[in-house]
Amino acid sequence: MFLLNVVVAVENAGAGPEGPPELPNIITLIYDKFSSMPFAQFLHHWENVFFSLLIAVFLGVLSYFASRKPKLVPGGLQNFLEMVVEGISNFVCGILGEEGKNYVPFLGTLFIYIFCMNMFGLIPGMKSPSSSINTTAALAITVFIYVQYTGIRKLGILGYIDHFAGRPRDLAGILLVPLMFPLHIITELAKPLSLSVRLFGNVLGEDVLIAVFVGLGISIVGFLKLPLGIPLHFPFVFLAILTGAIQALVFSVLSTIYFLMMFPHEEH
Amino acid sequence: MTFQSALGLSVPLAVSIAALGSGLALGKMGAAAMEAIGRQPEAAGKIQLAMIIGFAFIEALTIYALVTMFVLQGRIG
Repeated sequence: MFLLNVVVAVENAGAGPEGPPELPNIITLIYDKFSSMPFAQFLHHWENVFFSLLIAVFLGVLSYFASRKPKLVPGGLQNFLEMVVEGISNFVCGILGEEGKNYVPFLGTLFIYIFCMNMFGLIPGMKSPSSSINTTAALAITVFIYVQYTGIRKLGILGYIDHFAGRPRDLAGILLVPLMFPLHIITELAKPLSLSVRLFGNVLGEDVLIAVFVGLGISIVGFLKLPLGIPLHFPFVFLAILTGAIQALVFSVLSTIYFLMMFPHEEH
Repeated sequence: MTFQSALGLSVPLAVSIAALGSGLALGKMGAAAMEAIGRQPEAAGKIQLAMIIGFAFIEALTIYALVTMFVLQGRIG
């Protein structure tokens, strides 16, 4: 419920004229030009969905062309993508162990998709879809549902309830069950909230910072009446590259660890 | 003091206090991680991973304050 409230509040804040400043992108340019046409209004309303679908199509086409004619000795694009996939696979299996192979497609897709979404805002005329909480909340809820499904499948229904009750094995454990049960449920529900708000806040903060400095760079030479400004935002672009990469890594590493916490423990 | 001026004063202050706390925590954590890497350079990868995850948890607290600021920004007006 709290997540939904945040979503509604943020949407209202963004829709108002006092919303955080953002750089123009191709859809806001189209909307400014043809604001009375229905297709422009449609595009403007579904802006974030449009950009996230664009990235998904881009990634799909890229991997189609890379794997269309697979060679035994890879070169160029195929080599690069194989390197990326192998790196992600080693990383996930390093945390989850041998079973982790089943989760590599999901977690690797999350990492690559979020990385591309974060970087997309740095291309002129484009926007980061992850600077809207709706996109990040969708990803976090997907992770949440998959983690719960994995927990039920690996532990069984009884084992799942046992996990939530804190694995009581003696009298002290059984006495603590009324305390552990709500605690575990709140912990599980806080995970998607913190995942989505962290990614959204970082990317939005970075984009707003760049937009503010672009505005400053234009306005301090405004007396010259030039169509150009000073690129004051330049150092922050590198900061945005760093933050985007680290946040994509953090999102996928935390998802991996949530999977790990649902696995049956070794000592039992 | 009107509602707007109170909000205009307190919202940036809230973000800055959160940033102060996070900065102290990040400094402490980074120092400890660097010391651990210096002591045991062969475990650098594992320590870095744990460090980045910890950073994310600490940094999230500032981000919550920042998100609150974005939510309330329209009301300052």
